[in-house]
Amino acid sequence: MVGWGARGQQKSCSTPAWLVVSSCDGGVLEALSDADLVSNHLAAGGSGASIWLQELFRRHYTKVVTWCLRVAGDRQEAYDLAQGVFVKAQCHLGAFRGDSKVSTWLYSITRSECLNYLKSRCPLNDALDDEVAEALPDDPESRPERVLELHSSVQAAHALLDRELTDTEKRVFVLHYGDDVPLLTITRLLGLENPSGAKAYLVSARRKLARALPRWQASEKLTA
Amino acid sequence: MADARSRERSLLRKALSPSHACATPLELDDLADGLLAQPAAAPLTDHVSDCARCQTELTLLKEFENAAPAPDEESAVRWISARLERRFSEASARPPPFLARHGAALPRRSVFTTLNLGGFAVAAATLAGAVMIGLREGRAPELAQPSPAAPIVLRSAGITALSPFGDLDAAPNELRWELQTEAASYSVQVMEVDHAELWSAETRDASIVLPPALRARIVPGKPLLWEVVGKDAAGRAVAWSGKQRFRIRR
Repeated sequence: MVGWGARGQQKSCSTPAWLVVSSCDGGVLEALSDADLVSNHLAAGGSGASIWLQELFRRHYTKVVTWCLRVAGDRQEAYDLAQGVFVKAQCHLGAFRGDSKVSTWLYSITRSECLNYLKSRCPLNDALDDEVAEALPDDPESRPERVLELHSSVQAAHALLDRELTDTEKRVFVLHYGDDVPLLTITRLLGLENPSGAKAYLVSARRKLARALPRWQASEKLTA
Repeated sequence: MADARSRERSLLRKALSPSHACATPLELDDLADGLLAQPAAAPLTDHVSDCARCQTELTLLKEFENAAPAPDEESAVRWISARLERRFSEASARPPPFLARHGAALPRRSVFTTLNLGGFAVAAATLAGAVMIGLREGRAPELAQPSPAAPIVLRSAGITALSPFGDLDAAPNELRWELQTEAASYSVQVMEVDHAELWSAETRDASIVLPPALRARIVPGKPLLWEVVGKDAAGRAVAWSGKQRFRIRR
């Protein structure tokens, strides 16, 4: 049985899966690439928790669990979330494309499950949002969304973000306003170590955008 | 005020949501690794360089790929991983529902068993049946409950890894884990994140000292994996720690 091996090592395991089980020790399994494990699992029927699937998931527990813990911020919730990720991965393993890395594929599932979890658990505006709002001048004309109201241009908003914000500010801004990820979760996901975490980056980003907006509007008038 | 906030959210969400031009995680990964073939690569590269959304996705993907628990996350990650491992092992060793003893209720919180009991149990029965066919030529296959004496070795026990784990200040001197009662010896392996082996050894103790040559290869910022497999007196794997990840802080 041979895996796709498009990216992993092309190693083969010629013994049929149902016989390997009786003699397979850790060394045999460890020698197989992720792609081989998926291939063997599917070749053995693709249902149930085969030893191939167990080994595959074992290799990725740490990153999935760490990610879920950072999203949930709670051990039990993170456990339930991680279980959901692996259940979904098992259910959809047949749709896995052999030309991608298993970790990238698992990232897609983890991301989707985590966003669904956040949507189901978190109110749209977390408490930190109010703190962010209080830290900013209350001027409707200087709000960053004003650029969208004026021009309905998504590209313009992206250009403004790209020009005015640092990389971390952009990421915090996109995750918070684009995906409704709470600021505490963003702090954990991006490993931000400053005392106020993502909140500081969001306040800074909005201040910069507020300052840049009049300049941007002026330059738009000149080019119009 | 609440209306204004809601409207603001709605506008920003619209602007920052993925567009049709945005790259998928697979494309982003290929792009980052230089594996995306032309002519697809050029327009996607241009798009990603201007798109805050794609840049954020790429950052998250890389954070995920290199996710190692911080010191304050280590015990929770270990606890969750051990529970997942145990749950998976239980699910794969569980007999099919029609053979299970009456009253052997499943844990209510188990998503694995709730959603996949049939699949796991049927697989376990199929594996057991296939081996029985091989060993008892001429006899009809039996859908018997897997017996402890059956020659199937499914790892059912976990080993709790103690250290190293997560971000460290210096290269570790040794690997440590908790003794596993079913294990007579342990096989230890240190590897790169792509599972390429750097070093391996056997021991009967619950720790092993890392040789200087290996310690010299543990450099700041580079994540490494290690794991220990417990073996019984016959040399069969009976317990497994799972891959443990660590790295030295930059």
